Amino acid sequence: MKEESRFKKRLFLGLLLIFVLFIVSGCGENFDLHRTEQEVNFWKVPLEPVEVNIAGIETKLNLNTVYFTWVAMALTLLLGFAAARGCSVRRPTKLASMMELVFDFLKSQLYGSMAEKKARGIYLLIISYFLFILVCNLMGLVPTLEAPTGDINTTLGLALITFVMIYVWGLRYTGPKMFKHYIMPIPILPIVEDFAKPVTLAFRLFGNMKGKHIMTVALLGLITGMAEYCGGFLASVVWLAFGIFVSAIQAFVFTVLSIAYISMVVSDDHH
Amino acid sequence: MVSWPKPATVPFLRKEGKNPVVEINGTIVVQIIHFLLLLLLLRLVAYKPILKILDERQMYVASNIEQAEKQRAEAERIKAEFEAEMRRVREEAQQIIERATKASEEQAQAIMEAAKEETTRLKEGALADIEREKDKALAELKDQVASMAILVAGKVIRDGLNIDAQHKLVQDAISEVKNLPC
Repeated sequence: MKEESRFKKRLFLGLLLIFVLFIVSGCGENFDLHRTEQEVNFWKVPLEPVEVNIAGIETKLNLNTVYFTWVAMALTLLLGFAAARGCSVRRPTKLASMMELVFDFLKSQLYGSMAEKKARGIYLLIISYFLFILVCNLMGLVPTLEAPTGDINTTLGLALITFVMIYVWGLRYTGPKMFKHYIMPIPILPIVEDFAKPVTLAFRLFGNMKGKHIMTVALLGLITGMAEYCGGFLASVVWLAFGIFVSAIQAFVFTVLSIAYISMVVSDDHH
Repeated sequence: MVSWPKPATVPFLRKEGKNPVVEINGTIVVQIIHFLLLLLLLRLVAYKPILKILDERQMYVASNIEQAEKQRAEAERIKAEFEAEMRRVREEAQQIIERATKASEEQAQAIMEAAKEETTRLKEGALADIEREKDKALAELKDQVASMAILVAGKVIRDGLNIDAQHKLVQDAISEVKNLPC
């Protein structure tokens, strides 16, 4: 009886809070994405590309991406290390079983699309893709961190690795026959097709993650005026929850499409 | 002369303006190196032990399955053996029972036969005895009747016969006959 009344009281308070949140939700006056981005830049990383000179080559570096990539690498390594430590034949830890699940799942995807001999060489690459991209994506959801995959340089870099692997694996296992489909009067279509693969891979991931980031920042930016503490709060929560889903899906899509592109050139019935 | 748009004039590749969304620069090389480095490190730190464990698990499961299959085959073999043994034993038991039944039936038959024979023999013996006794009795009777007749005839001759004597004689004869042992 007492429990019930307490529960009712809590429910009432919760509903009241939600109602207040709705009332005082910010209206986005004076909203500026860039300003908000500066404001949420907790670690004061440089948001603009920085001119650098590496070994005499003038170029620009997105230092925020580089820094957060280091964080992502550290987290991925930590994850891998923790999983490896918990691994055992009979009694794996929860994290280790989860990692084994990922390994088994990607293995079934990979080995299902190409012969075992060809698949073994890129198995670790595929797992690394998935883990690294997943960690990067999920980092975008953590306050004060930023997703390195929200930068086209990261995603295009990863996609270029896939692009190179397509040709390496094609030449290694199919030989010059893999260029058979170029033989046509004007071989523009196959060339475009080949170059579209890494570009679509890169831009799909980049677009999703950048969009997620911009949306998160925009929802934070709605916190203005009276609604400083709770404006855009609900929407932000919903959006972050959706962000987890998108992050996982995009990591999976990148991985599986890489498998598909590579398996296309090494399959025996390639034409 | 076709004038291609210069990269700097393509809107999303433009360098001016603050914080361009899409700008490809030296970071791409850095990121590729980062990823390859991560791949190498992960291979050292995580993949080797995990893959080793996975392989071991696979081998463990495979060996378990193999062992289970072997044991099942063994069990099947033993089961078949036992079943054959059982069938054999049952058949043997059946045979023994049949044989015993047959033997007992034969024995019973023999006993019956013997009993019947014995009965017949006894009956015949008894009949023969009766016949013999009867013959003996008849012979004795004949002797007695003859002697009595002679006695009666002697009396008749000696006394002369009147009515009373006759009557007495007959009565005597009857009483004598009554006293006969047979």
